[in-house]
Amino acid sequence: MAKTTASDAQALIRSLRSAYASTPTNLKIIDLYVVFAVLTAIIQVAYMGIVGSFPFNSFLSGVLSCVGTAVLAVCLRIQVNKDNKEFKDLPPERAFADFVLCNLVLHLVIMNFLG
Amino acid sequence: MANHGVLLALLLLLPLHCFSFSEENPTDRRILVLVDDLAIRSSHSIFFKSLETRGFDLDFKLSDDPKLTLQRYGHYLYDGLVLFSPSTQRFGGSVDMAAILDFVDAGHDLILAADSSASDLVRGIATECGVDFDEDPEAVVIDHTSYAVSETEGDHTLIASDSFINSNVILGDKKIEAPVLFQGIGHSLNSANSLVLKVLSASPSAYSANPKAKLSSPPSLTGSAISLVSVVQARNNARILISGSLALFSNRFLRSGVLKVGSSVKYEKSGNEQFVTEISKWVFHERGHLKAVNVKHNKAGEKSEPAIYRINDDLEYSLEIYEWSGTSWKPYIADDVQVQFYMMSPYVLKTLSNDQKGLYSTSFKVPDVYGVFQFKVEYQRLGYTSLSLAKQIPVRPFRHNEYERFIPAAFPYYGASFSTMAGFFIFTIVYLYNK
Repeated sequence: MAKTTASDAQALIRSLRSAYASTPTNLKIIDLYVVFAVLTAIIQVAYMGIVGSFPFNSFLSGVLSCVGTAVLAVCLRIQVNKDNKEFKDLPPERAFADFVLCNLVLHLVIMNFLG
Repeated sequence: MANHGVLLALLLLLPLHCFSFSEENPTDRRILVLVDDLAIRSSHSIFFKSLETRGFDLDFKLSDDPKLTLQRYGHYLYDGLVLFSPSTQRFGGSVDMAAILDFVDAGHDLILAADSSASDLVRGIATECGVDFDEDPEAVVIDHTSYAVSETEGDHTLIASDSFINSNVILGDKKIEAPVLFQGIGHSLNSANSLVLKVLSASPSAYSANPKAKLSSPPSLTGSAISLVSVVQARNNARILISGSLALFSNRFLRSGVLKVGSSVKYEKSGNEQFVTEISKWVFHERGHLKAVNVKHNKAGEKSEPAIYRINDDLEYSLEIYEWSGTSWKPYIADDVQVQFYMMSPYVLKTLSNDQKGLYSTSFKVPDVYGVFQFKVEYQRLGYTSLSLAKQIPVRPFRHNEYERFIPAAFPYYGASFSTMAGFFIFTIVYLYNK
């Protein structure tokens, strides 16, 4: 029983990897970027758990910059995905321009709130 | 010529004005004594003499004097009133119960003595002040266990009481050793009135009844619920003394010796003289009158008083409290004066320390809350006039540029923010040029 579960899991991961291998490179880059942002956020939350929440505004801006980055990157990924029929009328250049603008606004706010 | 007359009148009136009751000189000066028989002036002369030697200006009037008036042109002519006219049904002139109560409401003092002939008018004034005399007009206080032994009276209505209120400010620092002689009617305190105090109370075995009639039903007033002498200090610091016995103040009682039944000590002189002298000092504000001056606050290390504080400022608060001794202001020394830093509820409550010279001070940190605060001193102690000070002061939060910056503990957050920015920059380049 346990053996079949383990092999099932292995088979699942293998099929996921082979399926992911066919993902376009630009989407892979976005995925890497999201992973980077989420890891940075987790590190900060762990640090806050150890040191305490004293400069709370700095903590918030640090974590929210990561979360915001991740959310914007995911939005970009949805819009530039060729398989997504919902945004087929939206050119990827326009989607990227939106992404850049939103990031600029996000970081402006973060800089103001960082203290 | 007419001008000269006015000037002369002003010059003559000026000294009168200077001697009246004032903030700086709170002792009463002019006292109206209303009697229903001018013989009281001689039969109670020791009490009146002691008032006069203490500088009071006594004005004796018959209570039905048709020219009787308490105020003229909106100003009171007297600072204190002594009502030694228990049997008066109506006062003469413009004085009535409402006028006397207005007199007290204006902050003036009153001594009211009744006896077994007390009229409805006198009872009415007492009721308004918070004490109720026994309604039975024949009733007097009788006590079969703590009466004063007397050769002429056998009905035990001459009471020797020594249950005084425990307050040095009302009865003076010197303990009254001999019992006080009392002959008259008892009263009870109105339980709804929290300002009235029993100064001399009857013993637990006393009761109030007609001594000449057989006691058929239980007396309405019994035991130590009977008050013989009571005082009131109103919220405006007017002081009232109510005694059920006019004879308490008489020369006969002041000079008489006293032997309390069951006691082996015969006192050569009753405690009445000390009692009436000390309590009249209290009633006429020769004792227990406080004033607070030089209320100051400033930031720690500074001298001037700021118009606004910032949260978490350290501040110092001080004031001076003096007690009027009858002739001068003496430093008031106590260790229970507290200041509140108050906004709807006290955020800070600190006991002030004093330097034994009347200067009270403390320092504390403004709480981490902004809004409109008050420095409040609410000092109410038995026998003393109440001090109630409030001074408003706003407290503001940090200004935008007053916050601490570049905190070492926040460096990881700064680092994370800048690294996501750098990450964004690199991502943009990689994303645009990977094709």
